[in-house]
Amino acid sequence: MANTVIGSSIVIDGEISGDEDLVIQGTVKGKISLKESLFVEGSGVVEADIETQNVEIAGRVTGNIVASDKVELKTDCRVVGDIKAPRILIADGASFKGNVDMDMKER
Amino acid sequence: MATAKELSGSNNVNNTVVGPSILISGRLTGDEDLTVRGRVEGELTLSRTLIVEPSGVVKANVAVRNAIVSGVVVGNINATESVELTREGRMVGDIRAPRVIIVDGASFRGRVDMGDVEPGRLPAERPTVARPTAVARPALPARPTAPARPPAPPPRPAAPAAAPRPAAAPPPPARPAAKPMPPPPPPTRVEARPAPAPAEQPAAAEPPTPSVMGAGAKKKVVVKKKAR
Repeated sequence: MANTVIGSSIVIDGEISGDEDLVIQGTVKGKISLKESLFVEGSGVVEADIETQNVEIAGRVTGNIVASDKVELKTDCRVVGDIKAPRILIADGASFKGNVDMDMKER
Repeated sequence: MATAKELSGSNNVNNTVVGPSILISGRLTGDEDLTVRGRVEGELTLSRTLIVEPSGVVKANVAVRNAIVSGVVVGNINATESVELTREGRMVGDIRAPRVIIVDGASFRGRVDMGDVEPGRLPAERPTVARPTAVARPALPARPTAPARPPAPPPRPAAPAAAPRPAAAPPPPARPAAKPMPPPPPPTRVEARPAPAPAEQPAAAEPPTPSVMGAGAKKKVVVKKKAR
């Protein structure tokens, strides 16, 4: 499915950018900017500002998230930071602290 | 768990993959295999294997256990086990690893350090392909710079064919030095020349040249004269 996978024992300190889906099972600190979807899985830890089209978070994210389409916070995720996206879903069991802004230009 | 479905999708590939359109700049560390099809810049440290695929570009100082380079690496690689440059691999930088494999077709510029190289021991310890191929590369540019000199006995058996061609009349001192060696070669050539007597003739005519070489050189000269 996704081309790029950051495995659970990987730690990246820096910047990730690209035009394809990204799955994070490990740790990423810094900045992530994608034109596709970002999946932060249960074991994933992200301390970064995120800029993508879609985000699905099941792990831990600290940082601001800007998505051009959708942000989905799944059960058991822990997110601290501001979220800005036209569609934001927060599932039952998700923990989140921050601002939500859905007031983007309508698509 | 509820996430089993998700995990199965990504867990079938147990290692980390950096896709072709991904750029990672910064520091990357980990304890698993990493496959690079995109770009990684900065610093890369793994306790396992780094695989740079043909589409992959790594501009980083790399510290890993094994590295297999089929793409482009600019930077130094420090491996605790081995570094392999495949046919499609291109690399600029220094390699430091006990085993270095450079395959025909690979391009490489830089230094190779395999650690403590003890000439006497190495052939016995690793009769692998790694040694000859890796050494062949650095040796290629070195050969032309010192062609006519026979520095060490080992290269001598292979060298005689190449040595006379560039220099028709090599320095005499080299020939006498080589004379102790010829005993092995003559028997094979003597088969072509039935009697050992002819071997002495050229030696008498041209003192500095040894029997076998003299014959070869003489024939060539004759051909040239005919051509003119």
